[in-house]
Amino acid sequence: MTDDVILRVQDLQTHFFTRTGVVKAVDGISFELKRGETLGIVGESGSGKSMTAWSILGMVPHPGRIVGGSINYLGDNLLEKSRGEMRDIRGSGICMVMQDPLTSLNPVFTVGDQLVESLRMEYNEPRRSLRDRAIRLLENVRIPAAEDRLTNFPHQMSGGMRQRVVGAISIARAPNLLIADEPTTSLDATIQLQYLRLLKDIQEQTGAAIIFITHDFGIVARMCDRVAVMYAGRIVEQSDVEDMFDRPAHPYTEALLESVPDLDTDVDMLPSIDGQPPSLDALPQGCSFAPRCPYAWDRCNEYPLEFTVAPGHVSRCWRAE
Amino acid sequence: MVTTASEIAGTSTGSGEQPLVRLEGIRRHFPIFRGNVLRRRTGTVKAVDGISINIMPGETYSLVGESGCGKTTTSRMLLMADQPTEGSIYFDDRPMNQFSGAERRNFKASVQAVFQDPWSSLNPRMRVDHIVSEPLITHQRLSRSAVRAQVQELLQVVGLHPFHAERYPHEFSGGQRQRIAIARALSTRPKLIVLDEPVSALDVSIRAQILNLLKELQSTYELSYLLIAHNLATVRYMSHMVGVMYLGKIVEEAPPIELFTNAQHPYTRALISASLPAHPRRQREEIVLTGEVPSPLNPPTGCTFHPRCPFVMDRCSVDVPILTAYTPGHATACHLYDEGEANTC
Repeated sequence: MTDDVILRVQDLQTHFFTRTGVVKAVDGISFELKRGETLGIVGESGSGKSMTAWSILGMVPHPGRIVGGSINYLGDNLLEKSRGEMRDIRGSGICMVMQDPLTSLNPVFTVGDQLVESLRMEYNEPRRSLRDRAIRLLENVRIPAAEDRLTNFPHQMSGGMRQRVVGAISIARAPNLLIADEPTTSLDATIQLQYLRLLKDIQEQTGAAIIFITHDFGIVARMCDRVAVMYAGRIVEQSDVEDMFDRPAHPYTEALLESVPDLDTDVDMLPSIDGQPPSLDALPQGCSFAPRCPYAWDRCNEYPLEFTVAPGHVSRCWRAE
Repeated sequence: MVTTASEIAGTSTGSGEQPLVRLEGIRRHFPIFRGNVLRRRTGTVKAVDGISINIMPGETYSLVGESGCGKTTTSRMLLMADQPTEGSIYFDDRPMNQFSGAERRNFKASVQAVFQDPWSSLNPRMRVDHIVSEPLITHQRLSRSAVRAQVQELLQVVGLHPFHAERYPHEFSGGQRQRIAIARALSTRPKLIVLDEPVSALDVSIRAQILNLLKELQSTYELSYLLIAHNLATVRYMSHMVGVMYLGKIVEEAPPIELFTNAQHPYTRALISASLPAHPRRQREEIVLTGEVPSPLNPPTGCTFHPRCPFVMDRCSVDVPILTAYTPGHATACHLYDEGEANTC
């Protein structure tokens, strides 16, 4: 069944044309997302994970350009849409969840104004009925006394409330896909947990798919159904979440999972990954992880193909051949 | 009476070993003023409100807690960047506020810091050799060649190359910059380094490298660390003793294994339950705290955690719980355990 697939990214290439040369920020990645599914895209800074998000939203900053591939959203190729059409999709179909939910509200407008503003894009209705919709939205994200809260300014609400308001705004137009780019990096642990639960809650209510862009395997373990691991612009491994944690196939994934300290076990010395993440304008020939890889052999001078190691589990490493 | 939690807890591995640093009943209250002409004091923020900790030689003491709980204020007082309102800090058994000039200089050389963000903590206009040697030149009289030799050695100790000395910070990646910051901190041969979130700004694949480097340096040079971190797994990996802070107070203190397997205070348990699982099949039982951390301007009466506590009792809003070791080496400030003690007595 392909009906269930709401987003299909195929061989997406987003390159940056700088004075010193072409930087291949995203270099041929493919993945699919089903309705209600949560995909984690994991990678370090510069791995291309955020640029993947911007590409889907059609907001690649200058001097970047999508040079190849396709992004299929509900049967349409987003790369063929006009700017106006994309703007419409961004609000109603695909929605970005802000990086810092606590500071992304406008301090000089009331919460009600900000909710109504996003609702007006979707519904051509009088202000009164938009207001009612806003109240229902706030109730959906479990804000008590929602009606009174509409006249509040953001500073009159607590951090957790503001988080909920931002959540309400992002689902105001009933999106099919939420993209959360490092949504909780600036939050304290207990607030982060509240926010992740809110997102799950929203997902259950709306059936939206979520893409989590993160560097934290903990968020993946807590939230995601599937994972794609990015390294230097490519997806090096992709699988179901449990399969990835049980049997990481790519040496990078394996090393990364081992190098993160675990709260439940004790180790004397963490295994660490040598070297630095590669700079995208000077990528090695062949496999980009080879210089840091403990298993590297001469075969790695050629860029590895994608091999299936288990059903639904692919790895770009010659060891999986 | 001052309760020294670490003393009750009996942390030190050796029997009669003296702590390197002793904080005794430290308070730091910031006055809040209102009005310009008729300036009047309208309140007090109790950023740090009576904490006592011991940092043992060669060991890591970690402070964990959410933003605003007073971790950084505590470390600033330890770095002499701020003065406690009340209480005293002892370094090598000498009270810091009675230091002579020479002692003060010696102290400043013995306590160094490494900060979270190596992009803003290194001066972009200074070459690496100047960054690393600046504290050396301030604290010691050395010939130029001796300084150069020390810089080269320090760079090698932290895993950089001597030729990096002539470069500028922007030529390095985050992990390498943090290594430069560590080299700088090591230059005066300190006894204690304050590590304020040393890896949270770094890439995941680099973090283990830096943590391991810090551990190696600790055992080579007998360094003590005061680690401030919010990632509990990092704290477990690095520490010998952990203090959990909430609204300027230490609510629980224990060695990491004991703390993370046998947490007593409801806040500690909530913090642990909020840390993300290491495997999708090992989901934690999640204790969701209601509400926010209250404002330190107007903290709740009694136990400051009581408005959010799932196990709140009547007396919690009245009596302030005192940090008490209910089991050896593990102190908690919570009324839940008072009765347990009464029963055993």
